[in-house]
Amino acid sequence: MSNNVILARMGEVTLKGLNRGNFESKLKNNLKYRLKNFGKLNIYQSQSRIWIEPVEGEENPYFKNEETATEILNAVVQVFGIVSASLARKFEGGIDEIRQNAVEYMKEYLKIYPDHHTFKVESKRGNKHFPMTSPEISNEIGGYLLENFDCLKVDVNKPDFIFNVEVRDYCYVYAGKIMGHRGLPVGTAGKGMLLLSGGIDSPVAGYMMASRGMMLEAVYFHSFPYTSDRAKDKVVDLAKIVSRFSGRMKLHVVNFTQIQLDMYKNSRQDMLTVTMRRVMLQIAEKLALQNGCGCLITGESLGQVASQTLEAIQFTNEVVDLPIFRPLIGLDKEATCEISRKIGAFETSILPYEDCCTVFVAKHPKTHPNRDDIIEAEQNLDIAKMVEDGLNGIETIII
Amino acid sequence: MIYFDNSATTKPLDEVVKLVSEDLQNDELWGNPGSLHELGTSAYKAYIKAKEDIASCFSIREQELVFTSCATESANTAINGFLKRNRRNGRTIISTKTEHRATLSVLEKLSDEGFNVIYLNVGPDGKPDLEQLESSIDGDTSLLCFTHVNNETGAILPLKEIIDIRNSKNRNTAIYIDFVQSAGKLKIDLRELGIELASFSAHKFHGLKGSGLLYIKNGVRIDPFILGGGQQNGMRSGTESLYLSRSTALALKLSQTDIDEHIKTVSEINSYLRSELVKRKATILSPEDALPYVLNVSFEGFESETMLHCLERYNIYVSTISACSSKTKKISYVLEAMGVDRKLATNAVRLSFSRFNTMDEAKTFIEKIDEIYQLFALR
Repeated sequence: MSNNVILARMGEVTLKGLNRGNFESKLKNNLKYRLKNFGKLNIYQSQSRIWIEPVEGEENPYFKNEETATEILNAVVQVFGIVSASLARKFEGGIDEIRQNAVEYMKEYLKIYPDHHTFKVESKRGNKHFPMTSPEISNEIGGYLLENFDCLKVDVNKPDFIFNVEVRDYCYVYAGKIMGHRGLPVGTAGKGMLLLSGGIDSPVAGYMMASRGMMLEAVYFHSFPYTSDRAKDKVVDLAKIVSRFSGRMKLHVVNFTQIQLDMYKNSRQDMLTVTMRRVMLQIAEKLALQNGCGCLITGESLGQVASQTLEAIQFTNEVVDLPIFRPLIGLDKEATCEISRKIGAFETSILPYEDCCTVFVAKHPKTHPNRDDIIEAEQNLDIAKMVEDGLNGIETIII
Repeated sequence: MIYFDNSATTKPLDEVVKLVSEDLQNDELWGNPGSLHELGTSAYKAYIKAKEDIASCFSIREQELVFTSCATESANTAINGFLKRNRRNGRTIISTKTEHRATLSVLEKLSDEGFNVIYLNVGPDGKPDLEQLESSIDGDTSLLCFTHVNNETGAILPLKEIIDIRNSKNRNTAIYIDFVQSAGKLKIDLRELGIELASFSAHKFHGLKGSGLLYIKNGVRIDPFILGGGQQNGMRSGTESLYLSRSTALALKLSQTDIDEHIKTVSEINSYLRSELVKRKATILSPEDALPYVLNVSFEGFESETMLHCLERYNIYVSTISACSSKTKKISYVLEAMGVDRKLATNAVRLSFSRFNTMDEAKTFIEKIDEIYQLFALR
């Protein structure tokens, strides 16, 4: 018998009051959705833990070997609301069975972590009918592991790993844990419309809002032939990466070419970026309302580029009524890159197809626009029609 | 579809496809040419025949020809292999900055290993400075590495002059020439030229990808790059591929028929496009005397990739060399070395033709350029 159960620990969810049940059932549903490709699984909760195991009496090939079981484990820790998770061995019996399973578990464990040598045992005894106390179990199993593995040494202060024994209705042994992404279960905080560009920032912004329980939809403004179709493919790839955390997502691709051309021809060069963002936000807001989103999400970070100065943000903010969440506003680029790497988006984000439409960016954009600049830039534009055209030319992709 | 990207690759000829599919189903041609039984022997004979056919196109002997997986492998084998084997010949290599990456990468590595690499200046016509060559060749010059026809501009190498200079300065200096863009388009007589090493690629003359050629002049010794069972006189181990060698031979043979007619047709297309394009805010970056199969053009107001995607809308396929991204604009290193203005280089697009392109296609191309200017030009 190999490792046959995953134990996942909940974090912030357990601090909730009367509506804790809602959060927990959402979390279980999200886990079910995330693990839908891993065969039939029984996902249930006991105290502040969630247990994931094959449905009784059904074969689940993914739990048959360590490698595929670890794949499930890695998927579990990507679900917001999970603080950490461990692959464990569940069995019935007394101290003899615990000994035997502890040794078998360690054999597998040491294959994956050959450089782990020092350990200590921690035991929990939920089943008070069990004839030994927790410290007695720890002593017994610790000694037994030392007898069986020459490479192991006990270190109660700074061990390489902790070996856990739990005695409940069943017995469990496990060691080590993979850290999760914490946060709140997606679906407990409404839905937001993410402006996804293909760069580094916006996928991170989506990830961060999803970590607060927000469901996502995304909108991307495509300007073929000024941006290539590969750039669009890249945005689709990024949406897929974000959706690993946020769950199923719709990506709306707005055909932006003509709008951008009109803007280029009839607006002030140095105001192009701000004007463009004002139009984008209006299209995004309408799209958000049509799709039941209560906010817009952008990857803006204060001062990063010309359109992200305080003045520019003021003037782009004012064209919409929905709140705009900018989770990266106070982060520097390096901090954003770090999160991007953590969620596995960085390598895709830095592919070179982004923004080949640099032709639309002025050499010296206005970094501190005022009201007069805005009025002048838009006096020859039919903004309402642009927004309408944008909404009429949308391709929706289910991610 | 209008395919003006033949320097990238060409469409395999119908005859080639037919031959390959027949060969793959032929019960007598799937043996290992190295096997001693009848099946192997018949494969070996067909294989040698293919080699002979190719060799005769270049006026060389079958033994001087090596099949490789691509021209990049040929370049690596030729340059590395020659210098490593002939260390006493000298430690200096002379080349230019406008070579293909397959050559430049090898030279960069050799330079790291202590070889002395001299890059000749290149003029606006894409030709290396011959006076500089003459003054640079000395007793330590082991190898000259040049490209016969530049893949980005079509600039033709003054090969005869270079050989003369070598002959007068140091006869021990070997010459490696990359013929990838000229094979099948110009007649190449390696015997008469008297160079030592050369590379070719089948998919540039309507053969298949995965088939390169390396010429090693009789008597020239090089270290092989791929070791193993000692096939091809030990120069390139690995089981010989019959369908690749035979299809390459066929493609090359068919390219030689009416080779002069073809260059005439392509010249007409090229001249027409040159004359029409200059009327339309375009600057021709290819030299006047370039091989007509390649035409490098810079379109005012369109970055390279934008123009590529505009043309793509009409199923017209061309190539960009400069890669553009929001942060750094990289321009073609070939155009940079030729001293082409940065702005022009940013907007450079390469049209490259084959003998199957037509004047009608060229006319449609011009019509579409007009349409693109109307729809997408930025002031």
